[in-house]
Amino acid sequence: MLRSFHPLLKLTLCLAWIIASLVVFRLSFQVALFAAATLLLIADARVPPLRVLLLMVPFALFGFGFFTTSVLFRAESGFALQMAQEQGGTPDVAPGIVLFFRVLACGMASAVFALTTDPGQLVRALMQHLRLPPPLGFSLMQAMHIVPDLRAEMLELRMARAIRLGRPLRRVPAPGEAITLAIPLLAYAIRRATRAALSFEARGLQPGRRRSNMPQPPITWIDWTLLTLGLAALAMITAVIHTGAT
Amino acid sequence: MPDALAYDRVALRHDGALADAVGPVSLALAPGERVLLLGASGAGKSTLLHAATGLFPESIPGSRRGEILLGGCPVESRRPADWADTCGYLFQDAAQTLAGFTVRDEIAFAPENQGIEARRLPGLVAESMTRAGIPQGWADRRITTLSGGERQIVALAALLAQGAPVTLADEPAASLAPAAARRMVGLLLAQGHAAMVVEHKPGPVLDRIDRCVALGRDGRVMIEGAPRDVLRHHGAALAKAGIALPLAARLQLSLPDHINPDLPLQAALARVPPARAQWLRDAVLPTPIPSGETLATLDGADCAPAFGPVVLRDVSLSLRAGEVLAILGPNGAGKSTLAACLSGLLPPRAGRRTGAPGAVVFQNPEAHFSRESVRSEIEGLNHAPDRVARILDDWALTTVAGQHPFTLSQGQKRRLSLALLAETDRWPVLILDEPTAGLDGAAEAALAQRIRALAREGRGIALITHDMDFALSVAERAVLLNRGAVQFDGPCRALMRNSARLSGAGLLPPEAAPVLGWLEAAC
Amino acid sequence: MPNQSVWTLRETLVTAVLGAVFGVLYLGWVQLWLVLQAVFGAVTMDVVMGFWFIVSIIAAAIIRKPGVALVSEVMAAAVQVLLGSPAGVLLLLTGLVQGAGAEAVFAATRWRRYSLPVLMAAGMGAAVFSFVYTWIRFDYGSLAPGLLIAMFALRLASGALLGGLLGHYIVKALYRTGVLSGLAIDRDTRVARA
Ligand SMILES: Nc1ncnc2c1ncn2[C@@H]1O[C@H](COP(=O)(O)OP(=O)(O)OP(=O)(O)O)[C@@H](O)[C@H]1O
Ligand SMILES: Nc1ncnc2c1ncn2[C@@H]1O[C@H](COP(=O)(O)OP(=O)(O)OP(=O)(O)O)[C@@H](O)[C@H]1O
Ligand SMILES: [Mg+2]
Ligand SMILES: [Mg+2]
Repeated sequence: MLRSFHPLLKLTLCLAWIIASLVVFRLSFQVALFAAATLLLIADARVPPLRVLLLMVPFALFGFGFFTTSVLFRAESGFALQMAQEQGGTPDVAPGIVLFFRVLACGMASAVFALTTDPGQLVRALMQHLRLPPPLGFSLMQAMHIVPDLRAEMLELRMARAIRLGRPLRRVPAPGEAITLAIPLLAYAIRRATRAALSFEARGLQPGRRRSNMPQPPITWIDWTLLTLGLAALAMITAVIHTGAT
Repeated sequence: MPDALAYDRVALRHDGALADAVGPVSLALAPGERVLLLGASGAGKSTLLHAATGLFPESIPGSRRGEILLGGCPVESRRPADWADTCGYLFQDAAQTLAGFTVRDEIAFAPENQGIEARRLPGLVAESMTRAGIPQGWADRRITTLSGGERQIVALAALLAQGAPVTLADEPAASLAPAAARRMVGLLLAQGHAAMVVEHKPGPVLDRIDRCVALGRDGRVMIEGAPRDVLRHHGAALAKAGIALPLAARLQLSLPDHINPDLPLQAALARVPPARAQWLRDAVLPTPIPSGETLATLDGADCAPAFGPVVLRDVSLSLRAGEVLAILGPNGAGKSTLAACLSGLLPPRAGRRTGAPGAVVFQNPEAHFSRESVRSEIEGLNHAPDRVARILDDWALTTVAGQHPFTLSQGQKRRLSLALLAETDRWPVLILDEPTAGLDGAAEAALAQRIRALAREGRGIALITHDMDFALSVAERAVLLNRGAVQFDGPCRALMRNSARLSGAGLLPPEAAPVLGWLEAAC
Repeated sequence: MPNQSVWTLRETLVTAVLGAVFGVLYLGWVQLWLVLQAVFGAVTMDVVMGFWFIVSIIAAAIIRKPGVALVSEVMAAAVQVLLGSPAGVLLLLTGLVQGAGAEAVFAATRWRRYSLPVLMAAGMGAAVFSFVYTWIRFDYGSLAPGLLIAMFALRLASGALLGGLLGHYIVKALYRTGVLSGLAIDRDTRVARA
């Protein structure tokens, strides 16, 4: 269902959820959003549970940073305090925990979008419905494709370097090694962009020229229903939490 | 009717270069004509193709002298992107032809740009995939998760979908297994379509082209004519210019009294006296080297590409000192994956690897470059200055020593990447991933000798290649990968005689197969 | 002479991928910030802030056209949002503000000068804009003036050093890799040498 959900409406819904999680500074809300997103990933997008868990690791680390700052070190980050104040006085639990779950919730909501959306479809939808100029659209597509490739490229760079220096390859790069990889990685990205430009040109992409698009699934009443349902669910949860709080 | 493509005294120079990369060249491609462009590595073939629609010097910085006409119009009368309806490119590097999207997006890209009706696009994409032999299930795969040869096939499908009447193809078959290469050449050089093809190994192309043009080392047209005539009458000149010749032509050059060029090799060999057996054996087979201790072993290993699924199961394999092992198989069989595993760079997902650490010369030579010039890359090996000069000379890189590695021609890149690993003795185990792709005849012969020399020093060498003749001439042992498993592990010579087994894996017997037969009969 | 303000296909692509790669690097930097913040307290944010301006400086120094600084920074923010940054979509606004700060400085030179002082000024421009933005967002008015001045000074310095100076060195290192050949920086360098 998520995979066939129209990318633009899906984007709207995910953004709405993320904005809500920024505004509603409640533990219960964050946990609910987090659970819902995780469930969708496993049950609907059929992402293996193990992979979902792995996906959470960076977000959890991230959230843990907030957690340690604001709880263990008692140095409440201005950010957290501000959020707590916006919600009217002190929050129900330590802001650190709420922040921790908010990171996870936002992360999973983004993952729902990123893992179930084909960059090609998204870009074509943007070109079709929002009149994004094709050169910008395909540059965006290139940028979206390059991110997942960085991991493999980094490994290849590390292998080549290990071979050059005559050292065995370490499983995890040392921090120093990771920093020195930044320049080659950037160089790779620019080189790839340069090649893509030549490839686009050789295949006839040209600003201002009329071009067609692979037929994209139209926005159907199912998509609208999904969007409405999603927004309604959001509104309901918010309402329930607010009445519960007051 | 005007020529499909005509170069009139064209000379091209890259920005920052001190001399012209090629030219002056005058050359024409008639409508429907198929031309093979030969030339040593660095002769300027790719640059010449880039200039055809004005990509050079519009997008690749440089300058041009002379005139180029496309269908009778000067090339600069339209922008390069406008010419996409006339001229389709298959660049030397598939990573250049494609942009790195999903297979479907890549194939649909050119037709979309031409504004072809949206409802016709899905059918066009599916049809191009079928013609190129790509499973429909790959439509959503990303290009960067494909093997080198698979990318090349997707590039071909994208070109077919573009449907331009003139095709410019730069070494289209260099990273393809023989059967796939034939299919590719058949599609590219279909009757009635004008095409200009660059190829170092003209074997599969020869039957389908109308004319052959050879560039000399000075970047000018040296020889021109019907392919068979050019090979028959100018073999010596071509070889001198570094251009690879088919085996029959090479044998005929060395044994002009015995080998009749008008006969197929099998029949011609019948006239060779048995006394020549040793000579013929040396020409097609390596001199044996006694093998030493085992250097690296895979034991029940499951191999997977980085971040990919397991593609080879339960591989048990060992490599000895002094041994040259050929790793053969169709595209996507898992050869590069096995290389990473056998070298110890990527641990197997199951099973064990033991032994000395190994190094791989990657299929993509650019992966090895890290410095600002060819010379400083070589200096990075920490040899004395005179040794640096000798290395540059040995690998024919002296003339480009000051250039940035990424501006080299494909063959020069390949030689540099090979030199960087062959010229250190840090690694007892050395794996070469398609070392001959992009090499010209002279460089390939030098490489064969170098590989044997390394083995004699006690190195264990594994060699991944699609060139059966090259495998036969340097490796004693071969493994054949297919369908996720090792299907054969034994003497290379025995495998090369087994045409059923080879064709079952998308390979073809080497050109030297008749010689092997002759040797067996003679001794 | 290439058109001064229209982006070529290559320039658009380079801007986009730089934004994407720095989006990933920024996320890594956030982790570092959090660790440091745990140890050194809240002002750490001002100290490390400059790095989050760097893509606009690098992209502008390479391509040298109007809008590059702004778009690359927004692109980096968008990639972070897609990858699931905890700051969420608000990051887009943050990116817009920071990019505009750097862009303003380049605009003041009419997109003609990209020397080290200009790059450092661009980093400081981004710092000023982002300071105003965080002031409004986190109600800095309630903080002690001494602390505010210290925070502002730190952020300016960070913008100049982690944004401008580091950006300058990264651009130089990239230039040496040869990937910038044919881009505006390369053309200008050749002209300057000749
Ligand atoms: N950007 C550049 N700057 C300077 N020299 C260059 C540049 N690009 C290519 N060259 C040089 O121009 C010459 C011709 O290169 P080209 O790629 O056309 O050769 P080629 O005939 O296709 O060789 P190969 O068979 O190895 O692919 C080479 O010597 C190469 O080093
Ligand atoms: N990251 C990945 N994700 C999924 N599949 C992958 C990935 N990398 C490689 N593969 C698949 O693994 C298989 C083996 O790839 P490998 O590169 O080892 O092939 P190869 O034998 O070297 O082929 P070639 O001769 O074309 O270079 C291919 O079918 C390829 O599609
Ligand atoms: Mg070439
Ligand atoms: Mg391979």
